[in-house]
Amino acid sequence: MRRTARGIAVLASATLALSVAACGGEDKAAEEQPAVDPASLTAELTWWDTSDPKNEGPAFQELIAKFNQTHPNVKINYQSVPFGEAQNKFKTAAQAKTGAPDILRAEVAWVPEFASLGHLYALDGSELLADESDFLETPLASNKFDGKTYGVPQVTDSLALMYNKELLSEAGISAPPTTWAELKTAAQTIKEKTDAEGVYINPAGYFLLPFMYGEGGDLVDTASKKIVINSEQNAAGLAIARDLIDSGAAAKPSANDAYGTMMTLFKEKKVAMIINGPWEVNNVKQAPGFGGLENLGIAPVPGGSAKAGGPVGGHNYVIWSGMPQEKVDAAVAFVKFMSSAESQAFLSEKLGLLPTRTSAYDLDAVKNNATVAAFQPVVEAGVGRPWIPEAGQFFGPLDQMATEVLIQNKDPKAALDTVAKKYKAEVVPSYEN
Amino acid sequence: MSQLTTPAAATPAAAVAAAPAKAAKRPGRSRRSPAKSLLLHGTLIVASLIALGPIVWVLLSSFKPGYAVQSSDLTLVKDPTLANYSYVLFDTNFPKWLLNSVIVAAFTMLIGIFFSATTGYAVSRFNFPGRRPLMMTFLITQMFPAAILIVPIYTIMARFGLINTLPALIIAYLTIAVPFCAWMLKGYFDSIPTSLDEAAALDGCGPFAIFWRVVLPLARPAIAVTAFYTFLTAWGEVMYASAFIQTDNKFTLAYGLQQFVPQFNPQWEYLTAAAVLVTVPAGVVFMIAQRHLVSGLTAGGTKG
Amino acid sequence: MTTVTADPAPPSPPSGRSARPSRLRRSWEKHWYAWAMVLPVVIVLAVLIFYPLFRGIWLSLTNLTEANQAAEICTRSITGGEVCAENPNRWEFVGLDNYLNVLSGNVGDFWQWTGITLIWTLGCVVFHYGLGLGLAVMLNRPMWGRGLYRVLLVLPWAVPAFVSAFAWKFIFNERFGLANSLLSSLGIDPVDWFANQWTSLFTAIITNIWLGVPFMMVALLGGMQTIPGELYEAAEIDGASAWQRFRNITLPGLRPVSMTVILLGTIWTFNMFPIIFLVTEGQPAGGTEILVTGAFRAAFEGIRNYSLASTYGVLILSILLVFSMFYRRALRKQGEVW
Repeated sequence: MRRTARGIAVLASATLALSVAACGGEDKAAEEQPAVDPASLTAELTWWDTSDPKNEGPAFQELIAKFNQTHPNVKINYQSVPFGEAQNKFKTAAQAKTGAPDILRAEVAWVPEFASLGHLYALDGSELLADESDFLETPLASNKFDGKTYGVPQVTDSLALMYNKELLSEAGISAPPTTWAELKTAAQTIKEKTDAEGVYINPAGYFLLPFMYGEGGDLVDTASKKIVINSEQNAAGLAIARDLIDSGAAAKPSANDAYGTMMTLFKEKKVAMIINGPWEVNNVKQAPGFGGLENLGIAPVPGGSAKAGGPVGGHNYVIWSGMPQEKVDAAVAFVKFMSSAESQAFLSEKLGLLPTRTSAYDLDAVKNNATVAAFQPVVEAGVGRPWIPEAGQFFGPLDQMATEVLIQNKDPKAALDTVAKKYKAEVVPSYEN
Repeated sequence: MSQLTTPAAATPAAAVAAAPAKAAKRPGRSRRSPAKSLLLHGTLIVASLIALGPIVWVLLSSFKPGYAVQSSDLTLVKDPTLANYSYVLFDTNFPKWLLNSVIVAAFTMLIGIFFSATTGYAVSRFNFPGRRPLMMTFLITQMFPAAILIVPIYTIMARFGLINTLPALIIAYLTIAVPFCAWMLKGYFDSIPTSLDEAAALDGCGPFAIFWRVVLPLARPAIAVTAFYTFLTAWGEVMYASAFIQTDNKFTLAYGLQQFVPQFNPQWEYLTAAAVLVTVPAGVVFMIAQRHLVSGLTAGGTKG
Repeated sequence: MTTVTADPAPPSPPSGRSARPSRLRRSWEKHWYAWAMVLPVVIVLAVLIFYPLFRGIWLSLTNLTEANQAAEICTRSITGGEVCAENPNRWEFVGLDNYLNVLSGNVGDFWQWTGITLIWTLGCVVFHYGLGLGLAVMLNRPMWGRGLYRVLLVLPWAVPAFVSAFAWKFIFNERFGLANSLLSSLGIDPVDWFANQWTSLFTAIITNIWLGVPFMMVALLGGMQTIPGELYEAAEIDGASAWQRFRNITLPGLRPVSMTVILLGTIWTFNMFPIIFLVTEGQPAGGTEILVTGAFRAAFEGIRNYSLASTYGVLILSILLVFSMFYRRALRKQGEVW
């Protein structure tokens, strides 16, 4: 009895919401001219920022100060939360309906997961998506789940080939390699002619995706619900990576802390090329002796026989569904401010982050930023990942496979078959193998 | 105090134990041959060096600029700087974290010792129904992996409104510390002669008074061990802190430290500097605690 | 409680001396202070550990995950209103399916993880106890600089464990680490510590031994204070050698403490999460995963699988229970245990 009654109430409120949304859509004028005076908005919002607390955090706090110039009565409680623990922390708190932040900077893969659990506000019909078409398509896609949009892209990224210009020219290489075959020759030349090693490949699942995409492979096919991780294409891609190491073109990777080793070697000019993303630009820039941004080359990842592309990453702003309704206006105003073209341009200028709005790329601050300009083709070539709630579980088995193939010399196809079996048993049981 | 010393001194067992123990020390020391002495000190010096090795690395790194902490040339000292310390002390909430840690560790220590001492005493002295199951129960609490319990414990803490409060941590740490300490203290109380209790009972002391005035003071070494254990449990724990604490001003030191090492771009130089600052108070607490690591019977007896 | 008050006990002033008190009442009067002493601990443990634990046993018989635990999934719209839809895959009771999946190797690598866990636990506890005992014996003697040695040797315990884990990880770093540069200076080829399962496990065990010895040392040092000095005195008069004194006085005297620290040390090491998680990260390719870290990765990455996590929890609990039964039986042969 109570159940039906509640069902009707829910239905009623849903239709109400629909009609409200419809009205909002029609009344364009009201949208462009904010109905409420920003100064009259009063709320206290908690924001969990998962960005690098030292390099990136201060710029976000500056943005909050700017926001408070127009919205003096919206207090933002800024809390930096380490990226590695934010996902579980948010879910634990949201599930207990206590202690979750009103607004969270969520990694792209988290959004469908949180949305499927009912932890996020659907943003459709709000001002935040009024100019939806301005957002770059691939980053925006990560916010969609089951026909609704649950977040607004903050920043996008993808893997690129980062190289030491000085070392490449010392080896007589004039342009960065564009295919894996070219990369191999270039790396071997560098190894011969300089003191440095050619390339360092991080033996982790995410960092091997460009090799698999290059041959036309992918993890799963969400449209036909198929597990395609153990395809011949992926095996061929892995064989290329493995050959780079076996032939000595790539440095022998460590099984543990390979990422840190890769960055240390690159910053110390001990390795000429790495595959990594824009989040490390600042770090490389500050490394003493590297030669700053002038010495840092950025090019799209080399291609295989099918195409060239890296996985799309990045972060989105999401709003916790447990936030009381009366704070919605303030939260929307804040996220709108933070994701505006101007704010994105500010972050580009300060941190070299890549905007997610087309219009931001037209602003001078972005246009004149060499790093961002260098990354633009990288992002354009980015390959969207399967945006399904289970996506977070794809990388555990994939990382294990990467170590097996690149360090323990296991056969790529056999290792991929094991991954496919795990996906079927533990990640996406409803998919076909 | 007068009540404490009277029964202890009046008990023959304590007096007998005290006198020879005291006397035994001197001859034992002078009789050690130089070769044995050398061997003893040599072993301890080597052990100390091994114990200090990684800590020295932490200490040296804390004076290096960030880029030199992980580097392909292994150096002891490179471009030494105090900047890391000044960043940790003045540009973060470190003083606040220190205060939180002190509060959490102190309360965990006091409450933990009180609870485990009463429990350990009850189990040691009284053959009450439920005594054996209780000891087994304590063990079982340690067997179920805490990593798996985090989510339900969070839900319970949330129900009591304890999320993002220091009491949540104190309670969680007590569940780690008390079972062990109760076991330790039980074993220790077992070795204190019951004749002391009986003597005190004849003097008209109730069970609580015997526990508080007679047995507890005699158990000083075990109390020191368990005190240090509970203190360190609360001082260095990270997993519960990272689950229950959400705002910067409520962080404990150990959890605050973790903020310095995000997945990408970890700030080793700040981590190491902060780690040094965290280790020093713990060392001081041990220095105080270890003075009590002398025979309780001797200490109790000689006072009387 | 109600039984006590309902009991038609005679209102005799000299309490507890009544002619025929009920058993419960007698028991209560005899033991109330013992129960009062243990009650606070029991309450806290019951709420915080036992409730989740029993719930965990129940969950392990279901297929409950984060995604299917709610009866309906509600989506709040930012423009107001909430749409709720019934959860199509509501969790259900699945009997022993989880156990079958885990034990048959269909999900995870239970047997491999168990094997590694046993090696890990045995290796750590043996060295913890052995080294801790040796150091405690030395530090219990009166000698010059004893306080200093004690403080130096206890420092590894005072550094937050995760910092030490990082320090050791740096030491064993294959390219930049101290371990390999020491080997090179001795003319030995550097070792790819984390590329091999056993060398990788070795690094974790070394780290944990280093971390755990001070605890054992301090606990045993505390235990040694309970051994009456006159026993040593008498033994010396009888001409017992140092080894005989150690064997016949120190070890038996330490029995209650040793029993506790070995038992709890084993349980703790078995479930020691951070060292493996931080030092080896399970590398190479899961080769050094122990049960807790394996379970954590299997169940808590992405959509959290509470039923699977609980299944591992119950299995771990069962292994440790069996261990403590055997341990108790072995010790009981030598006298009263607990």
